[in-house]
Amino acid sequence: MINKAICLSALALLLPLPIYAGKAGKAQDTNKAASTSAQNNVQPDAAERVFETNCARCHMPPSALSQRTTGTVVMHMRMRARLSQRDEQMLLKYLAP
Amino acid sequence: MPVASIKQRYVAVTIALCLAAAHHGRAQQAAEPDNHAGRVPVISGGFGYVHNVSGGATSLIPQINPVLLVPFGQHVLLESRTDFTGFFERQNQTSGPFKGKVFKTVEFAQLDWFANSHIMAAAGRYLLPFGIYNERFQPIWIKNLQDAPITATIGTRTSGSGDGLMLRGVATQRPQYSLQYTAYFSAHSKINQLQAARVAGADASIYLPQARLELGTSYQRFLEGHRINSVATYASWQPSSQPFDLKAEYDHSHNGHGYWLETAYSFRQLSAPHFFQRIQTVARIQQFFASNGGGNGLPSIDTQRFDFGLNYYIRDDLRFISSYGRSFSSHTDSNIWNIGFTYRFLFPLWPEKRQ
Ligand code: HEC
Repeated sequence: MINKAICLSALALLLPLPIYAGKAGKAQDTNKAASTSAQNNVQPDAAERVFETNCARCHMPPSALSQRTTGTVVMHMRMRARLSQRDEQMLLKYLAP
Repeated sequence: MPVASIKQRYVAVTIALCLAAAHHGRAQQAAEPDNHAGRVPVISGGFGYVHNVSGGATSLIPQINPVLLVPFGQHVLLESRTDFTGFFERQNQTSGPFKGKVFKTVEFAQLDWFANSHIMAAAGRYLLPFGIYNERFQPIWIKNLQDAPITATIGTRTSGSGDGLMLRGVATQRPQYSLQYTAYFSAHSKINQLQAARVAGADASIYLPQARLELGTSYQRFLEGHRINSVATYASWQPSSQPFDLKAEYDHSHNGHGYWLETAYSFRQLSAPHFFQRIQTVARIQQFFASNGGGNGLPSIDTQRFDFGLNYYIRDDLRFISSYGRSFSSHTDSNIWNIGFTYRFLFPLWPEKRQ
């Protein structure tokens, strides 16, 4: 019975892989926040990278954040994700340029 | 005046003072040079409903977990989360009317101080940072599968929260990696809503931003009754080229050890109609091996379980969730079904003044 469970689990875990293998393509972030930053000249690459490498680690990143809440949310996430002060500054520039 | 109403007044006055002080702090704060990010108090959190059928018995589980965030300038943040979970079951397990109640739990209420990158301190009630589940994936709108892993009670006794002090920060950061640490101490508390055990622990992890891979380990010493050590090691990986997410954790304690491994794949990059791009598939496998008779929230016998989930994101903050799981042990095998929805809300508590 337990072997059956392991087999089924392995199957379930492997299920996404064929799709994964067959669809190697560039990541496209349809994030509104990402497009906002591209329109502004605030070190878009570095700041965008900080957002992209950090904000999808634990949950679906927000597609939009109002400017007035950005500072509060980023402070909160800095504590949760143990981000550096530098990362916080980059994120603020990126999300509320 | 009855004690309850004095308490309520005290809480209301404290909240009002905090909000007023936060507003004042913000007004005093110098304008930030290179961004327009505001710091207004925020109310956020998750809301949802899960219809659970476990071994033939149905449970109706509505939940709301409001999170209050009140910043005081750039270095201090007050954060709290209260969980309200309703749990309604049929009177005779499979027949009869639904009966149950709503459970309220203060999960954290902490004051954070951001000294610099190396030191961030939290005082008050905080989520025990053991492994990756408790602190990161507990909220209903975040977890890909609604049922917690079997080993989730390892390192989170007795209430999932600690009352005391926590220090954390970035030990070192380079373009290729960053090293993070957390250390904490919690005192024993029997206060209603604020129950906690006397524990001390630490966590360290390395994050490789290019590979988007995090590897970490946690240690905890339970300092009351039967003193035991718990350890965990974990990995979290989100490759940059694909919307694929892998999380895994191994936990060990006096009462047993086990692991869980979860993968999630989002269809958002598939060249398929928009409808299909909102789908996320999830799979999780777990094995638990009891020792010393199990207990402390762990099964008394070896247990295996797998889960398969299908979530549908209507927006980034709203989704339908569904999952099927099967649990195997020498005692019984059972099916677990979950279906429902989750929503993440986020509102500023007042509008910011235009500059
Ligand atoms: C280490 C895991 C982790 C990372 C990394 C992370 N988050 Fe979060 N995030 C959480 C958790 C957990 C919550 C839920 C907070 C709660 O319920 O206490 C949350 C909540 C939020 C919320 C809801 C409002 C709030 O503050 O509670 C927003 C918006 C958010 N995150 C945005 C972000 C952004 C932007 C980033 C990138 C900097 C990010 N998150 C990175 C774990 C994380």
